[in-house]
Amino acid sequence: MDFTLDEDQREIRDWVRTFVRREITPLEPEVLRRERNGRPGLTRDELRELQLKAKEAGFFGVLTPQEYGGMGLGAVMTALLESELGRSFVPFRFGGYADNILFHGNEEQKERYLLPTISGERISCFAITEPGAGSDAKAIRTSARQDGSDWIINGEKTFITQGNDADFTMVFAVTDKEKGADGGVTCFLVDRDMGWKSEPIDTMGEWGPAALVFEDVRVPKESVLGEVGKGFQLAMQWIGQGRYLLPARAIGSCERLVEMAIEQARTRVTFGELLAERQAIQWMIADSAVEIEALRWLVLHAAWQVDQGMDSRQAQSIAKLYGGVKANEIVDRVLQIHGGMGYTRELPIERWYRELRLLRIYEGTDEIQRRTIARNLLKGHAKIGGSLV
Amino acid sequence: MNIVVLVKQVPDTWSERKLTDADHTLDRESADAVLDEINERAVEEALKLQEAHGGEVTVLAMGPDRATEAIRKALSMGADKAIHVSDAALHGSDVLATAKVLAKAIGTVEGVDLVIAGNEATDGRAGAIPAILAELLGLPQVTQVRKVEIDGTTVKAERETEEGVAFLEATLPAVVSVTEKINEPRYPSFKGIMAAKKKKVDTLSVADLGLDPAEVGLTGAWSSVLEAAPKPPRSAGQRVEDDGNGGAQIAEYLVGQKLI
Repeated sequence: MDFTLDEDQREIRDWVRTFVRREITPLEPEVLRRERNGRPGLTRDELRELQLKAKEAGFFGVLTPQEYGGMGLGAVMTALLESELGRSFVPFRFGGYADNILFHGNEEQKERYLLPTISGERISCFAITEPGAGSDAKAIRTSARQDGSDWIINGEKTFITQGNDADFTMVFAVTDKEKGADGGVTCFLVDRDMGWKSEPIDTMGEWGPAALVFEDVRVPKESVLGEVGKGFQLAMQWIGQGRYLLPARAIGSCERLVEMAIEQARTRVTFGELLAERQAIQWMIADSAVEIEALRWLVLHAAWQVDQGMDSRQAQSIAKLYGGVKANEIVDRVLQIHGGMGYTRELPIERWYRELRLLRIYEGTDEIQRRTIARNLLKGHAKIGGSLV
Repeated sequence: MNIVVLVKQVPDTWSERKLTDADHTLDRESADAVLDEINERAVEEALKLQEAHGGEVTVLAMGPDRATEAIRKALSMGADKAIHVSDAALHGSDVLATAKVLAKAIGTVEGVDLVIAGNEATDGRAGAIPAILAELLGLPQVTQVRKVEIDGTTVKAERETEEGVAFLEATLPAVVSVTEKINEPRYPSFKGIMAAKKKKVDTLSVADLGLDPAEVGLTGAWSSVLEAAPKPPRSAGQRVEDDGNGGAQIAEYLVGQKLI
C-alpha cells in the first residue's frame, strides 16, 4: 500500500497551489469587501479571465476527456486539485467543464450545447429540484406534453445552481405520469430564449441559486436529451458524478482554517498565557487535525474507486457525510478559538461558516447520505469493512 | 546562446522555517521545499533569451536528493536539461564552497555563453554566489539587474541598487544575476510538466567534479555558526494615549529608538 503521490501528481498539485497563492489568494480582501457590500465577490468576466490564465498553461477541463480538449486527469487528481482550490474562499474553478450528461447528446446537441459549454461560451444549469421535490426527486411535477412534434413544458424548479447566469438548462419533466420516474421522466435541453425565466434566491451563503419558471415553454422534439422517458437515469448519473469533490474542496478550507487557529493560538495571550498553552484549545486543534486527515483519506479513497471504475457510491456517500459534518465542526471550533474576532466580518471565518453549512444540505443531505449508507448495508449492496478489496 | 541557470530549492517562505539544533544548518525536513521564486525569474529570463537567440538552457542545482523537485519545476517551465550536484559531503557548505562547486559544474557544460542566477536566495540571503562565481570562472559579473539584453556578443543590463540605476555592458560569456523586477515568471504548462520527466538530469558528486570533500561542507567552511536562537516573539509594545501631546510622545519614542 503506497500513499505517496507520484511525480506528476505532486507537480500538478504544486502548480495549483502556486496558482492559488499568486492569483487567487491576493483577491481575498477585495472579494470580502465586495460581498460585504452585497455584490458578487468575483464578476463573471474576472472569473473568466482567471480561467483563461490557467488555460494558457493548459489547466482547463480537469475532468473533461482529452478528445474534447480537456486534461482528463481522473478523480484522484481532481480531488487533490479541488482541495487546493478550497484553500481560498474566492469562488474560483477551472474552466473547460461540462456536465457529464451533455456528453450523451447527439452530434447536433454536442455542437450546440456541449462544446460551447466546455469553451465557456455557454453556461448550463441542471434543473431537477422543485419546491415539492428535493431529495425526493421522483416527486417532480413539472410536465411536458406533446403538441404536434413539439413539447410544451410547464412547472417550477428551485435551488438551481447557475440558474441566474445560464443561457440553457437541462430540465427534467414528467412526460408520462403513469410511469413516473420509471420511464416517464424526460430531460430537455432548453435555451433561455425559448421562454423560461429565472429568479435569484437569496441564501445564507454568498452563493445564490435560482428559481426557474416554465409557462407553456414550447420546445422542438430535437430538445430531448437522450431518449423520451429515460430522463431519470440521466439525472441520477449527473447527481452521482462527483459527490466526492464537494468534501474534497472542504479539505482545503479546513486546512486553511486550522492554520489560522494555530496562528491565533500561538499569538493570542489571555490572562498572561498563550492560548496555545491551554488544553481546551489544544484539543480543538488536535481533533480538527485528526478529522482533516480522516476526511482526506475518505475522499481520496472514494476518488480512487471512481478511477478504478468500481461502484463508488458507498464510499462517496461516506466521504460526503463525514466531510459535511466534520467541516462544520471544524469551522465552528476555529471560530470559537478566535472568539469575538471570529464572529466579525473582518476575518473570513464567518464566511466559511456560512458557506460550509451548505455542504450538509446540497447534493444529498446528511440524512440522505445516512439513508444510502444504511440501506446499502442492510440490503447487502455493501459490507462493513468491504472497502478494502 | 547556451545558458546555465542556477537554481536552488529553498524552504517555502509560506511555511515555518528553522535551523536544526545539531549543527545550526537549515532544517530542510521541517518545511515544504520549493524552487526559490527568484530562480523562477532567472529561468524565465533564460527562456526568453533562448526564444530570441536559440541555444540551450541548462539548469544547475546543488542540493540534497530532494532538490530534484525544484529541478523538475525549472524543466517543466521549459529548460532543456539539468545538472544536479548531490553529495552528503556538501552538507553545510558556505558560499565560497558552493561557488567552487558550481564553477566546476558549469565547467562540465560545453560552450556556456551566459550564467543566470537570482540575486539572492530566500533562505541563506548572502547574495554573494554570483559575484564569487564570476571571479572563480574569470568572467565579467553583471549583478542585481532588472533588465537584460543580448546584442551580438555583448550583454547589456540595467543594474538597480539603492544608489540608482547603472547601465552595464559586458562581453559574453558573463555571469548575470537578476532581481525580482526582471520579469513575471511563466507557469509551467501541463504539457511542460509531462515533458519534464523525460528530460536529462545529470547527477554529479563532489568526486565527479574533481574536488576534495574536505574543501566543501561544514568541514571546509570558512565560518562556523556557534549558536542560533529563534527570533523572540513580538512584545506587546507601548501604548500612547493622546491627551493633546500624542505627537510629541511618538516623536520622543522614535528619537529614543534612534529611528529619527
